[in-house]
Amino acid sequence: MSPFEIGAASVVAIVLLIYLGVYIPVALGMVSFVAIWLMRDNFDLAVNLLKIAMSDSVMVYAFATVPLFTFMGLIVSKAGMGRDIYEVMNLAFRKITGGIGMATVGANAIFAAVTGSSIASASVFSTVAVPQMLRYDYNPRFAVGVVAGSSVLGMIIPPSAMLIIYSFVAEQSVGDMFLAGVIPGLLLALAYLATIWFAGRFTPAFVGGRSIDDVPSLSAYEIAERTIPLMLLIMLVLGGIYTGWLTPVEAGAAGAFFGLVISLLRRRMTLATFWEALLETGHITAAILFLITAASIYSRMLGLAGVPNALSDWIAMNQFSFVTVMVIYVVLMLFLGTLLDTASIILIVVPLFLPLVEPLGLSPVWFGIVTVVGAEIGLLTPPLGISCFVIKSTLNDPRISLKDVFLGALPFAFVMLLVLIVLIRYPILSLALLN
Amino acid sequence: MNNALAPIWRSFQAVAERVSMGANAIGTLCVLALVVIVNYDVVARGVFNNPFMGAVEVVQFSLVFIVFLQLPDVVRVGRLTRSDGFLILMGKRMPVLALWLQRFIDTLAAIFMSLVAYALWPEFIKMWKTQDFFGVPGVFTAPYWPIKLIICLSAALCVLLFVGKVIGKAPVDHAELNSLDELDNA
Repeated sequence: MSPFEIGAASVVAIVLLIYLGVYIPVALGMVSFVAIWLMRDNFDLAVNLLKIAMSDSVMVYAFATVPLFTFMGLIVSKAGMGRDIYEVMNLAFRKITGGIGMATVGANAIFAAVTGSSIASASVFSTVAVPQMLRYDYNPRFAVGVVAGSSVLGMIIPPSAMLIIYSFVAEQSVGDMFLAGVIPGLLLALAYLATIWFAGRFTPAFVGGRSIDDVPSLSAYEIAERTIPLMLLIMLVLGGIYTGWLTPVEAGAAGAFFGLVISLLRRRMTLATFWEALLETGHITAAILFLITAASIYSRMLGLAGVPNALSDWIAMNQFSFVTVMVIYVVLMLFLGTLLDTASIILIVVPLFLPLVEPLGLSPVWFGIVTVVGAEIGLLTPPLGISCFVIKSTLNDPRISLKDVFLGALPFAFVMLLVLIVLIRYPILSLALLN
Repeated sequence: MNNALAPIWRSFQAVAERVSMGANAIGTLCVLALVVIVNYDVVARGVFNNPFMGAVEVVQFSLVFIVFLQLPDVVRVGRLTRSDGFLILMGKRMPVLALWLQRFIDTLAAIFMSLVAYALWPEFIKMWKTQDFFGVPGVFTAPYWPIKLIICLSAALCVLLFVGKVIGKAPVDHAELNSLDELDNA
């Protein structure tokens, strides 16, 4: 077999093994190891590359953003700041049909600016927003759909673990990726708000609900207490990166520290929850960084096999247009999204496609936003939309089946796809904030 | 498994699990150290114009510790990234086949982690002998060998835990095997 054939077979083998349930880093690392060994007929070379990947790729300074932003997000969630901002939003949207849904989207968008994980958003808002929507006779499918759909904002609006992962694979700066994510994230949030408004107007049966009369009104002080600390935190982190005053690593550390101070001042943090947040941070960091480490062997293997080159030759030979390439790319991500989590999709497809993008004169930063949004659609689609699973298991309510969650999320997945097309068509949306 | 060896193996596994929980606690403290160090550097540089010289190296060092001290515990609690939808579906229809698939998966993981340990051990020996370091001489340096050692030990511990999963995880199968044993004895 030629190196290219071995490389191509490895990609297929990796996807198959992952579908079977093999640990993703093991599938990536093991198959790539064997592929390199076969291609070069040299066991020691394969061992050598494994050694380099394991010991050098974890030592990248910018990797520190992973534990720091994870820790900040967990502290902020455990301190109940998601609920805080939701209460304020609810007050603002209470007069509108579907108002609680809009409040959920708005709160999610703001909460997303301090957390990097859709999973965190999904679990916070399914305990806060769904019960309230059900109490006001909202359609259960709409209620869970809104939470699922808006949870995706957590990974698009910076800081976001997925943007960090992309910046490693594509060798882009974390700061640039974060800034690029702001407008697309807000655009998606606005698209969701518009969808809910239209749905409330034209298909009220899907939304359901009645007007809210007994929302506890908050005094000006209570509103300030719930919003100002969060706003300061967002300004510190994103403002610090935007002005260049803080590097992303420093912004993460400062954000974690400041988040901790806020939750201590508001008496929302005990020693037990603090330790829990630390422990959880460690687990998430180890899992993500080990995955990236294994993916670095994979991209070396692809390079050795010449797969990306062959792919770009193939595209040049067939004279595929930009549109065709992007359609193939998005369809591939949607297909992988049926079973894989976002991080794995990014790590598998980016090393294959990035070498195609740069010669076309396209921005790798823009490509990253397209990738993250495209891969995130998989969070909402069956059979394995992770956000939907989290919502189902957090709710633990027999009235709401997993099917309800998926059906409710479907309109939002569709809106996401539309936004993705807009983002592909207008790269300026992703690039406007970059210096 | 041979009955005489079973208790020894079980206590061996218990030790492996204890060690990974302990390593996890230390790794957790490294997360805290990371937050403190970077903040100290920001304040020292921004306010007192006196940056902490070794900040970058210490951050790199602590990253290795966080990842590889926590990895065995991630394996122990079964949170290593995977997509288990297919396995769960199969577990309902064909529990025995699913069990064997799970064993295959854990065996593969054990082999991979052994390769990692095998790849890193000579590297540790080399770094120990040469006392190589990273960082800028005269400003801040740290030796390489603890990094190689921790990766190697972590991988070895993961191998033990995966082997434990292969042998240990068999509620259905074990019962069958035991009853077969009894039939044989009778």
